[in-house]
Amino acid sequence: MNPIELTLGIMTAVGGFVDISQVVFAALAGSVFGYSLIWVFALSTVGIIVYGEMSGRVAAVAKQPVFNLIRHRLGLKLGFITLAASVLSTLITCAAEIGGLGLLLRYLTGAPYLLMATISAAALMGCIWVLPFKWIERIFGLLGLLMLVFVFALTAIDPPWEKIAAGFLPQIPPGLSSKELLNFSYFAVAIFSAVMFPYETYFYSSGGIEEEWGPKDLPTNRITAIVGMALGSLLSIAMLASAAQLFGPAGIGPQIPGTVALQTAIPFGPIGLVLALLGILFAVAGAAIETCMANAYSIAQFFGWIWGRHKKPWEAPRFTIAWVVLLLLSLAIVLTGVDPMSLVQYAIVFSILVLPLTYLPLMLLADDRKYMGKYVNGRLAKVLGWLFFVLIVLMALAALPLFLITSGGQG
Amino acid sequence: MKPDSLIKLVSELLDLPLYDVEGKYCGIVDDIELTGGPGKDLKLKALLVGPGAYTGRLPGWAMWLVEKIAGSRVTRVPMDKVHSIGAAVHLECSGWQLGLHKSERRAAEWIPHEGAL
Repeated sequence: MNPIELTLGIMTAVGGFVDISQVVFAALAGSVFGYSLIWVFALSTVGIIVYGEMSGRVAAVAKQPVFNLIRHRLGLKLGFITLAASVLSTLITCAAEIGGLGLLLRYLTGAPYLLMATISAAALMGCIWVLPFKWIERIFGLLGLLMLVFVFALTAIDPPWEKIAAGFLPQIPPGLSSKELLNFSYFAVAIFSAVMFPYETYFYSSGGIEEEWGPKDLPTNRITAIVGMALGSLLSIAMLASAAQLFGPAGIGPQIPGTVALQTAIPFGPIGLVLALLGILFAVAGAAIETCMANAYSIAQFFGWIWGRHKKPWEAPRFTIAWVVLLLLSLAIVLTGVDPMSLVQYAIVFSILVLPLTYLPLMLLADDRKYMGKYVNGRLAKVLGWLFFVLIVLMALAALPLFLITSGGQG
Repeated sequence: MKPDSLIKLVSELLDLPLYDVEGKYCGIVDDIELTGGPGKDLKLKALLVGPGAYTGRLPGWAMWLVEKIAGSRVTRVPMDKVHSIGAAVHLECSGWQLGLHKSERRAAEWIPHEGAL
C-alpha cells in the first residue's frame, strides 16, 4: 500500500481530533486535571476507530455513505431531525474553526482578527473550488503533520513517563470536591464527544466513495482508520501531557490556541512556536474544510443530490451551492463577534446528542449480511460497536445536564 | 430482486438510492404510487423522486423548511423503467429521459464553469 493513501485518514483524524476545540480542550484538561483524562482520549480513540473503519467498509462494499443509511434505516422523519441537528452542530463547529484561523493568523501577522477570519474563509473557498478531493486531503493531511512538533516538544521536556502511562488506566483523581467531580465528568464527556464528532464519519465515508473504494480497498480502510485516528489521538495526548507538566503547576489555564502553542516554545524557542502555530493553522484549516464539506455531503446525500468533489463544481451544482452557502454562513457567525471558544462548547454538546442517531444505522447496516455479504461485522467489530453505542447513549444523556450544571466546564 | 417480486415497501424500497442505466446517481426513492382498490391487488405503479414527495411523511414545519432548502419538485419513475431493486434501485433507461436531472441542470446555470482543476 502506498503511504500517500493514508492521507484521507490523516486529514480526517488531524482535522477531527486536532481541531480548534481539541487544541484548547486537551491543553485545558491537562492543566486542570493533570494526566487523569488521558484514558478518555484512549477509550474514545478506540471508539472512533471502530466506527470509522465500519463507515469506510460500508462505503466500500454497499457504496452507501453514512447519511444515506441514516435516512434509509431511521426513516424520513427521524432522519430529518438527525440532519437538522447535525447540520447545526457542524455549522457551529465550522464557525469555530474559521474563528480559530482568524486568531492564529492574527498571532502570525498582527492583522485584525475579523479581517483574518474573512481572508481565511475566502482562502478555504478557493481551495475547495480549485483543488480536487485527493489534493485537498493530501495538502491539509500532510501539512497538519507539522503538529508532530508537540510530540517532539513533550519528549524534549523529559516528562514523567510513568504518570503518563498511568493516565491510560480509567480513573477519577482522588480528593475531588463534588463541584470538581462534576467538572471532571463534563471534561470526560466533552472529550469523548469531541473525539467522536459525527462529522468525522460523514467525511470519512463520503471520502471513501469519492476515492471509489471497493472491497479490494478494505485493508487500506482498516490501516487508514487505525493509523489516522491513533495519530490524531497521539497529538492530543501530547498536548495534554505537556500542559499537565508546564501549565498546571504554574496555574495557567490555556483558553486560546496561542497559549497552547507556547508548549513548543519552551524546549525549541521561536522556531518551535512558529512550527506549532503553522501546524495548528493547517490542522484547523483542514477541520474547517472537513466540517464544511461534511455538512454539504450530509445535505446532498439526504436529499438525493449529485455530490462529491471528485466532480467539477458545476457537475454537482446543488452540492457546490450547499458548501459555498455553509461556508458563508459560518463566516457570518464569526463576524457577529461571538467568541470562537464558546462556539466550541455548544458544538460539543449538540454533537453528542446526534451521535446515537448517527452510529445506530451504521451498526445496523454493517451487521446486515444481505447488504454486506462476507464483509459483515465480525465478532470483534460487533462487540466493540455495541459496547461503544451503549457508552455513547450514556454520554448523550449526561451531556446536557453536565453542561448546564458546570456552565460548560467553568465550574 | 425484480420489480414484480414481492417487496416489503417500507424497509426495502423507500429511501433507497436510484441509479440509471449508465450508473449515474439520480436521487432517492422518496415515495411510491400504487394502483388497485377495494378487493383488488395493490400494485406498484411508479416511484416518486424529489422533496415534493415528502408530503405526508414529514410534519408541516419540516416540509416548510425542506421546501426552502430543496424545493418541492416531484418526478415520476414508472415501474416499467425499473430494472432491479437491491441495496439500490437500478433503472433500465437514462435519468435524463425521465427528467431526473432537471433541478441539477437548473442549479448548474448559477455556477461558473471554470477555475477547478
